[in-house]
Amino acid sequence: MSIEESHDDGGHQMPAVEDWPRGFGEASWWPFVTAVGAAGIYAGAGLYVVGQGDNAPVGPMAGPAAFVGSIGLLLAGLYGWVYHAFVSHFWEREEGGDHGNTLKWGMIAFLGSELATFGAGFGYYFWIRAGAWPPGELPELTGSLVLGNTVLLVLSSITLHWAHIQIRKNKRGKFISGLIATLLLGIIFVGGQVYEYYEFIVHSNFTLTSGLFGSAFFGLTGLHGLHVSLGAVFLGIVLVRTLAGQYSAERHVSVSTASMYWHFVDVVWIFLVVVLYVGAEVGGAG
Amino acid sequence: MEITEQIALTVLMGLFLVGIAAWLARVENWRTYSPVGGGATGGEAAYGSEEKPSGLIRWLTTVDHKDIGMLYGAFAIFAFVAGGLMVIVMRAELMDPGMTLISNTFYNSLLTSHGITMLFLFATPIIGAFANYFIPLLIGADDMAFPRINAIAFWLLPPGALLIWAGFLPIPEVIPAQTGWTMYTPLSAGVGSGNQANAGVDLMLLGLHLTGVSATMGAINFVATIFTERGENVSWANLDIFSWTMLTQSGLIIFAFPLLGSAIVMLLLDRNLGTAFFVNGGSPILWQHLFWFFGHPEVYIIVLPPMGLVSLILPRFSGRRLFGFKFVVYSTLAIGVLSFGVWAHHMFATGIDPRLRASFMAISLAIAIPSAVKTFNWITTMWNGRLRLTAPMLFSIGFVQNFIIGGVTGVFLASIPIDLLLHDTYYVVGHFHYIVMGAITFAGMAGLYYWFPLFTGRMYQRRLAKIHFWLWLVGSNVTFLAMVLLGYGGMPRRYATYLPQFATLHQIASLGAFVMLAGGLVWTYNFVVSWLEGPHVEDADPWNLKENGLRTNEWAWFEQKRETAITDGGEESETVTDGGEKVTDEE
Ligand code: HEM
Ligand SMILES: [Cu+2]
Repeated sequence: MSIEESHDDGGHQMPAVEDWPRGFGEASWWPFVTAVGAAGIYAGAGLYVVGQGDNAPVGPMAGPAAFVGSIGLLLAGLYGWVYHAFVSHFWEREEGGDHGNTLKWGMIAFLGSELATFGAGFGYYFWIRAGAWPPGELPELTGSLVLGNTVLLVLSSITLHWAHIQIRKNKRGKFISGLIATLLLGIIFVGGQVYEYYEFIVHSNFTLTSGLFGSAFFGLTGLHGLHVSLGAVFLGIVLVRTLAGQYSAERHVSVSTASMYWHFVDVVWIFLVVVLYVGAEVGGAG
Repeated sequence: MEITEQIALTVLMGLFLVGIAAWLARVENWRTYSPVGGGATGGEAAYGSEEKPSGLIRWLTTVDHKDIGMLYGAFAIFAFVAGGLMVIVMRAELMDPGMTLISNTFYNSLLTSHGITMLFLFATPIIGAFANYFIPLLIGADDMAFPRINAIAFWLLPPGALLIWAGFLPIPEVIPAQTGWTMYTPLSAGVGSGNQANAGVDLMLLGLHLTGVSATMGAINFVATIFTERGENVSWANLDIFSWTMLTQSGLIIFAFPLLGSAIVMLLLDRNLGTAFFVNGGSPILWQHLFWFFGHPEVYIIVLPPMGLVSLILPRFSGRRLFGFKFVVYSTLAIGVLSFGVWAHHMFATGIDPRLRASFMAISLAIAIPSAVKTFNWITTMWNGRLRLTAPMLFSIGFVQNFIIGGVTGVFLASIPIDLLLHDTYYVVGHFHYIVMGAITFAGMAGLYYWFPLFTGRMYQRRLAKIHFWLWLVGSNVTFLAMVLLGYGGMPRRYATYLPQFATLHQIASLGAFVMLAGGLVWTYNFVVSWLEGPHVEDADPWNLKENGLRTNEWAWFEQKRETAITDGGEESETVTDGGEKVTDEE
């Protein structure tokens, strides 16, 4: 049977025609590679734990090595997958409005799951916050750094939204500058977070193991920081694709989905600042 | 010495794996003339052509929802056999009060692993098998919304299983987890004088997290598929019942599993990096809240789609449509929402605030209402119907029977004063096994028998199927009723030994388990033999659904596939075949 474009005439769409292995409509190695990479990360973490102690059956470096190697494999798999599923032949692929809808619903469902991921961490924080407060000495939380970082992140949402409007008007130049601005703001934000960690850990002696609030603080901000970084990766992919000439006023689904993700992460940050930074300081009768 | 032994072992392991690969490849070749697997029956010989590679590579690279469904099914059944054999050893140990066959610690390891295997590696994946294979066919979609994510989600499962079972593998210094499937802190945090600080627990937690990621990816895919990939003639109003339950289930997974995932990460941090989430000054009881906020929805995650299967299958053999279809859908949605509001009924005995406790009791009792709505709908569907007692129908009826007992025992547990007496006794074990084995697994069997002709092109042996059913129906009721009675007598759960006064009931329970084992053997034999050499089905409507106007889309697809003998589940326009394809291998 032929697997050429003739399939568009209402027949079964072959999802993976040009994929590796080439020439098969429904076969791709990338999911398998991606999954092996992801599983390897877990195995690496497991090996790390197994490698602790004196009689450990594996060396202490086996875990980290497997971990890093697997991340490489995961990235390779993700690249192959995303490339073949979305990027290659962008303009030839006829993308009905339906497909965009699918991706948006996928993103909405994913954001729902993210809500739950954060939910457990916030659940912990509210749990300890409802108990005797403060649970120990708190570091200086609300300062100019948090304020500045918050402004940066809010600003980045605005620039991204602006960029999104520009691509809808087909103004590529403005779209690109908006994207770059957003990305820069995001990266500065992450830098600010790293600096804050440095201050807390080195100067205030406030770490992950500093008891109840330390667990909550580093757990939640760490989780959030990971999300900002991931969002930056999404935006980076969008930027590269833009520079390669993709997207138009009609065709920019991944701009929309990446924006949804970015705005979500932004909202989580504001919530986090209010309850974790400000909330820890107000009302806590010594 | 040690080193050479290790190397030798590694080489041996490698050879073994290569052997398996070679054997699989051989099986694949042999399959080409004797169609035994895959989503398609006829014309598999042509897979050397352009849709899918042949042999093992086809299965490793597939992004076809039907193939992925088959992979899920194979994985789930493997896990079911593994978890089943674990419990057979446990039931053998429980034949007498003392510690005879295995040690207490090994019993606890099996207990933990049995629960986790059955819930996360069998129940969730077997649902994934049916859903992947049939949802796109039922709703007239080309495939799942994200075929590659679908494949990734599946391939996360086998490594997850390996990690979960890692404690049983011969890795020095690593022992199996003995925390129970609920992994209560502080025990699971590894503090204190126990042996649960062992890396085996960490590996299990990591594996569990990985399978959770897999389930979440699958759920996102189902939501996107059902929302946006429905065919032109499939509207919300005529969406089939199985898809409805899958949609609800996926919603539950999306909000429940990631929460468990975060809790697991917190536990891992507590164990390894000295954080204070649940121990080291943190709150052990918080684990229970987080766990059950996930855990109660989880029980509905694994029961709703089987309810959907029964709601789909039961009417086909009653000669009429599902009674009160709308109410079955509404009750599904109601259960989905309510299931997030009842978690503390697992914690009545922990001393939480009595006012909270009472409100959780109220919602738990309320959730019995939509459950009962469904039950009455199934019964009224059969009422005055023209029942055909085929194997899938028998298993569906068995489902209803067992679900009634499981549900009624649940309502009693939801009542605080009764629960305080029965909590942590065998009564609870009886209650949920009536549902997880008696109902969920029965529904899975109904599905497997019902669609056996569709995915093998052959018919199973009806006599053996009925023997299987009766062995399981009798076996499960003997075992689980004995457990309920043991609970009334005060027998606590999770012990390898017990007081002599419980001996008789324990022996009865074990007897029932062995009867189920026998049934399982009959089933295995029947499936393997029928798959290999059962008679080919004569037409594409083996259950004669057409005459009652009860045929659903997947059978229409089957008919088309048989007519055109194409291999990819295509539609009307795709009548082109490769040269050399055997179109007539069925008849
Ligand atoms: C009619 C609705 C139901 C009610 C009111 C109900 C109520 C309860 C209650 C109160 C408990 C806690 C008993 C205790 O530990 O003291 C319980 C335990 C349990 N139920 Fe249900 N239940 C219902 C349906 C189900 C369903 C449909 C499933 C499975 C799919 C299920 C699975 C379980 C499990 C696994 C446990 C034990 C968890 C453990 O401690 O290991 N239940 N049920
Ligand atoms: Cu419950």
